[in-house]
Amino acid sequence: MENEPALYSCPGHRRRARARTRCLLAVIAATSACGAPASDRHPESAPTAVRIVDDFGDTLRLAQPAAHVVSLNPVTTEAIFALGAGARLVGRSRWDSSPDAARQVPDLGDGLQPNIEAVLAARPDLVVLYAAAANRAAAAAFRRAGVQTLALRTDRVADLARVLHALGLALGDTTAAASVADSVQRSLDAVRAMPRRTRPVSVFWHAWDAPVITIGAGSYLDELVVAAGARNVFGDMAQPSPQVTLESVVQRNPDYVLAGPRAARRLRADARWQAVPAVRAGRILVVDTSLVGRPGVRMGEAARALRLLIDSAAGVRP
Amino acid sequence: MIRVSQAVVRYPGASINALDGATFEALPGRLTAVVGPNGSGKSTAVRALIGQVALTGGSMRVGDTDVATADRRQLARTMSVVTQREEPAFPLSVRDYVMLGRYPHHGAWSALGPADAAAAEGAMQRTGALPLGDRRTDALSGGEWQRVRLARALAQGGEVLILDEPGTFLDMAHEMAAFELLDELAREGRTILLVSHQLNLVARFAAHIVVLHHGRVVAAGAPNDVMRGDVLEPVYEWPLVIARDPAVGAPFLVPLRRR
Amino acid sequence: MTRARWSLLFVALALAGVAGLTLGPVRIGLGGVLRALAGAGDIQTVGIVRDLRLARVVLAVITGAGLGMSGAALQGTLRNALAEPYLLGVSGGAAVGAVLAVVAGVSAPGALPLAAFAGAAGAVALVLLIARAARGRADPRVLLMAGVVVGAFANAAIMVLLAGAGEGTVRNALWWMMGSVSGADWRTIGWLSVYATAAGVALVAVARDVDLLALGEDAAAGLGVRVADATRRIFLLAALLAAITVAGAGLVGFVGLVVPALARALGARRAREVLLASAVVGAALVVGADVVARTVRAPAELPLGAVTAIVGVPFFLMRLRRTA
Repeated sequence: MENEPALYSCPGHRRRARARTRCLLAVIAATSACGAPASDRHPESAPTAVRIVDDFGDTLRLAQPAAHVVSLNPVTTEAIFALGAGARLVGRSRWDSSPDAARQVPDLGDGLQPNIEAVLAARPDLVVLYAAAANRAAAAAFRRAGVQTLALRTDRVADLARVLHALGLALGDTTAAASVADSVQRSLDAVRAMPRRTRPVSVFWHAWDAPVITIGAGSYLDELVVAAGARNVFGDMAQPSPQVTLESVVQRNPDYVLAGPRAARRLRADARWQAVPAVRAGRILVVDTSLVGRPGVRMGEAARALRLLIDSAAGVRP
Repeated sequence: MIRVSQAVVRYPGASINALDGATFEALPGRLTAVVGPNGSGKSTAVRALIGQVALTGGSMRVGDTDVATADRRQLARTMSVVTQREEPAFPLSVRDYVMLGRYPHHGAWSALGPADAAAAEGAMQRTGALPLGDRRTDALSGGEWQRVRLARALAQGGEVLILDEPGTFLDMAHEMAAFELLDELAREGRTILLVSHQLNLVARFAAHIVVLHHGRVVAAGAPNDVMRGDVLEPVYEWPLVIARDPAVGAPFLVPLRRR
Repeated sequence: MTRARWSLLFVALALAGVAGLTLGPVRIGLGGVLRALAGAGDIQTVGIVRDLRLARVVLAVITGAGLGMSGAALQGTLRNALAEPYLLGVSGGAAVGAVLAVVAGVSAPGALPLAAFAGAAGAVALVLLIARAARGRADPRVLLMAGVVVGAFANAAIMVLLAGAGEGTVRNALWWMMGSVSGADWRTIGWLSVYATAAGVALVAVARDVDLLALGEDAAAGLGVRVADATRRIFLLAALLAAITVAGAGLVGFVGLVVPALARALGARRAREVLLASAVVGAALVVGADVVARTVRAPAELPLGAVTAIVGVPFFLMRLRRTA
């Protein structure tokens, strides 16, 4: 698990971070080199071969920018639209619903263990997959059929920069990629830069209650909570979604409980949860789960929404 | 007493009747034996008596009770059965096992009492199983197990006793002892019905022999009348000779070699 | 079983219960626990002791006793020390009901146990139907095979349901299936205990039949048992008890298998004794397992089914060695 001191606003640091991620990808573009500043590939220049090593360790070679892309991951679908290349999408997964324009893109089924034939029928020249073990076989199948695949991990905040860069290279528009990455970073940093509270706020993130499941430090949601200036009461647990006892929630006494709308109603009605002081006092904050679900280009927006939600409850004016 | 009349049993899915109009009687005070080759319907007759298979025709009566409509628990108070094989899934002490024979005398909630313990003790004494009282059922020899099972059947307290191949797994001494006991029990007024392959032993002890063949009774009567070559050879489909034993003069059967 | 052994059993159960009430992330002394049980003290402590810990202990008792009795009844009737309540297809059916509820996003409190119970009832009905179609309505072997078939079908159904579900739903469904008494709320416990008590009492009432069926079908028939009816009745009662436990706590494996063996090892012989001893042993085992599940890796909670398996497997290996 990458443990960069999360990217607090600091220009020099930003440049070093981006250069570092580029080195990690081992890209051999015509004129790039480790340490060189911002992207210097012009989309209009003569197309040169792009070589990218993805998160499966496979090497992707594109003679020219991908023109027909299937994206089977809500994060990458949203990112492709953010890069202005939404028109090149010929297929998406059934879970990709953002932005609204994405709904017009043909739904090709699941993102995990996708329907190979349906994807191939859309005649893509590039398939973007979520880099889960379950998709290795699919990646191999696509390659055998002569279609390039780009498998990307989209689990944590730090992944997004790498994802955007890889997509930028594949789509032949690293300028846009850098600019989007930059703006996401700035929006995140802006949230982080908001004044610290005099008294830190602790939250419990409710994922499920039969049994009780919350989020731990291994989850992107925990990073979001930290970015919003609060503390996850279970942030000391390494797993992304640990099952915990209700009593330990009581013991850790979070200031607020974050839950989806239906869960919030359920908690208020459940006698056992009244033992948690935050629930008894009605300090349940309803979270828009569609926004905060995953580390996409709207991360900054998600962090900001979370921060404002907590602020308005805690009575602090932004 | 047991009265079987025109009993017909056909197993579901079978093309022929296992019992095909069998008629015979077992009277109190004597040992009645049912004999016949494999597949003649002997075990079917026993299973029909205990309600494990339904009669498709005819009737079977135990005393005044019709087996088809009887309350099984009540019937178990008058009739005990010792089946061919029995192996408790979980070991019990012999005493507990014999006490199981008293269950037909109690409803779901009434407990076994001193009267039951006395009956069990008495039964164990009769069959010579008393010294085995504290042993476990899975630690007995074949002969010991047989005595214990007989004790359980006696503890049930009925006047009718049905045994299916009681001599299985028993050596000569134990088999003779078992038959002698059965003879005694019969003389005390019980109705004893015995299914057996052991024609020679049956000829010594039984007062009435019923020969089954293809589900029908082909001969019934005293040993001297039934143990005859012309009766038994067509039934067993094997050449045999009937002689008289030199010791007591009972008929005994000698199968001849074919090769 | 001797009086001493019975006392030992009840002491074990009491100790497990005390552990369940006093151990937990929030430190409450024994005195505080007793006061809270009586309703005195601050609301939070009372809430923790009564609504959180006591509810879990009670649900664990129902689960353990139910599974223990169900296993004991089945092992006697099927004449097989390896028989387990989950073989009847009950667990599969309950899981289908619960997963359906999770996938459908049902959110009413107490809906999940209800859905699980309905699924289990459906599975039992299906088993009886299959057995009737195979013309073996009371043949234990046919009933068992029908149970295995229904269980396999249920597994397939669960896979289909989860294949099209989001990862959060899959995670939630899997956690439910792995077993936990953390879902204990008093209303659910209320109706579960009513059914469990009824089924348990009924099983003890037919304990004699279990004794006699354990001798073999023909021997039982000779002792006055209507074998077909008795077998079916015991199956239904055992299945009902198992269904109740799955509805309340998910799949807690090994309890139905191991507890009757433990009861016999302690000296229980006749079926009524084995049933009652199994109830107490099962209750103590599951209460203890729950304590372990929520303290060993606090604040995380281990699945209850995993803890009972860890206890069950070595015990089973020991028994296998003894019989071999």
